[in-house]
Amino acid sequence: MKKKRLLSDILVYTLLTAAACFTLFPLLMALMNSFKTNRELLTNVMSWPTGFSLDNYIRTLEKMHYGRSFWNTAILAALSVTMMILFSALAGWKLCRTKTRLSRFLLKLFIFSMLIPFSSIMIPLYRVTLALNIKNSLVGLSFVYAGLGVSMAIFLYHGFVKSIPMEMEEAAAIDGCGSLQTFFRIVLPMLKPITATICITNVLWVWNDFLLPLIIISDNKEYTLLLSTNTLFGQYSSDWTAILSALILAALPVIVFYAIFQKQILKGIADGAVKG
Amino acid sequence: MKNARKQNLSLLLFCTPALIVYILFKLYPALSGVFYSLTNWNGLKKTYDFVGLANFREILTDTYFWNAMGFTFRYVIVMVLVSNVIALTLAVAIESRRRVKGFYRTIFYMPNMISMVIGGYMWMFIFTKVLYYMADNWGWRFLDHSWIGNPRFSFLAIIIVAAWGAVGYLMIIYMAALQGVPANLKEAASIDGANAWQNFWKIVFPLIRHAITICLFWSLNAGFQVFDVIYTLTGGGPGRATQSVALNIYEEAFKGNIRYGYATAKSTVLFVIVLVVTAIQLKVTSRKEQEL
Repeated sequence: MKKKRLLSDILVYTLLTAAACFTLFPLLMALMNSFKTNRELLTNVMSWPTGFSLDNYIRTLEKMHYGRSFWNTAILAALSVTMMILFSALAGWKLCRTKTRLSRFLLKLFIFSMLIPFSSIMIPLYRVTLALNIKNSLVGLSFVYAGLGVSMAIFLYHGFVKSIPMEMEEAAAIDGCGSLQTFFRIVLPMLKPITATICITNVLWVWNDFLLPLIIISDNKEYTLLLSTNTLFGQYSSDWTAILSALILAALPVIVFYAIFQKQILKGIADGAVKG
Repeated sequence: MKNARKQNLSLLLFCTPALIVYILFKLYPALSGVFYSLTNWNGLKKTYDFVGLANFREILTDTYFWNAMGFTFRYVIVMVLVSNVIALTLAVAIESRRRVKGFYRTIFYMPNMISMVIGGYMWMFIFTKVLYYMADNWGWRFLDHSWIGNPRFSFLAIIIVAAWGAVGYLMIIYMAALQGVPANLKEAASIDGANAWQNFWKIVFPLIRHAITICLFWSLNAGFQVFDVIYTLTGGGPGRATQSVALNIYEEAFKGNIRYGYATAKSTVLFVIVLVVTAIQLKVTSRKEQEL
């Protein structure tokens, strides 16, 4: 029995460690080679860098306009997610608390489109952005993200509101609070747990989304991090040290984000999946 | 009666901001897409004409589109199987060990945090530089292939990178489901003489069916829309050998052709196919769930 236990231990740990090495392999290879000179990299991709030099990084920071791209992405994510949360909390709460035929219809209207793949709407959406004159505008793009994101967020808020008691809201109404006041003073603070989940998932979505900005943003002053990384790859396709340091720089913000919010991120996925 | 009207008015007020962005950027594009697919709208002319079903008739004989569709189906089938099997295996392995759980979970989920654009380019480095080095210097001849240039291997390369990026997410969902399986059921089965293999298939597997439904649904949906990985890794090439439908639509609309009407017709076809496939999947898996 003990022998069997040991055998299964060895098996499981071998499997897990092998999988972990495979998972980290491209990240570590990119990291290690990003410190080399191009000549070093071409002679041996598996060796340690001979000296620790940040030259590649300094070069790349400038080439990909890192500061600007980072700032663009951060603004885009912040605006998109703020709107998404505000709009869908307002709607999700009221939709849950109102029990009329209209509320049932609106909820269905919001939810039914969750199945439509993005590639099916991207061309008409492109036309809408042209017509509204928000092509190349990060602020405009954040409205687009809000529009694409509210379905899921309303669905989650609606489900969450169902589970919180109404007494507080009723008490507030008796005390003469208007609907809007009740929402901001009483309801919004109670929605905090689900707001955190929605916030984190959507920040990551907007931050990592590629196809939508690729279509809407063509002015390189408005480029997001991924767009400038992509352009850099196109321009310096044989200059691997520049590319690898750019990739590390582009991955850095999400890795830091992951280090800080890991628990909430993983909990959000598990919760979302169980409820969905 | 008056009360209901008042309630509805306040409801509409609260929904207005969400409704505006939702209608403008999701609902209207989705519905107008159906209309545009019946026109010859392109990026060059200001006006367009109604052409009926001409676009759809053209799609029927568009070999590029059907090749892309064939590729996408192959990709979806392999990807759904591979990523779910690996994710479930890893989830079971991790859940069976208490102490190292957090450590491995952190690592396995990490690729999911990084955009597939970045992941794709990192793997590009592995496929075009590192594997050759291993083949030449370590004698690992089986790695000595043109991973990006040869369609047979580039398909494999795409699957490797896509699975690398997706497995962590599926694994987290499976882990959550595994935690919901009561320990006493497994113990009871062990006492009755079930081995680990039987225990998994007879006790655990039926109890995590809902997670399987969710993961299949998610990986099917993501699979049919695959874009980032292929765009960065092969760009659809060599030739069009690894072109997915999403890439084909993108190319039709934004690269060279700018035939928006025709591309919209293609995306309508894609939507219908995705809808049918996921509907079948949900029906099959949820019936299995109910049988219990």
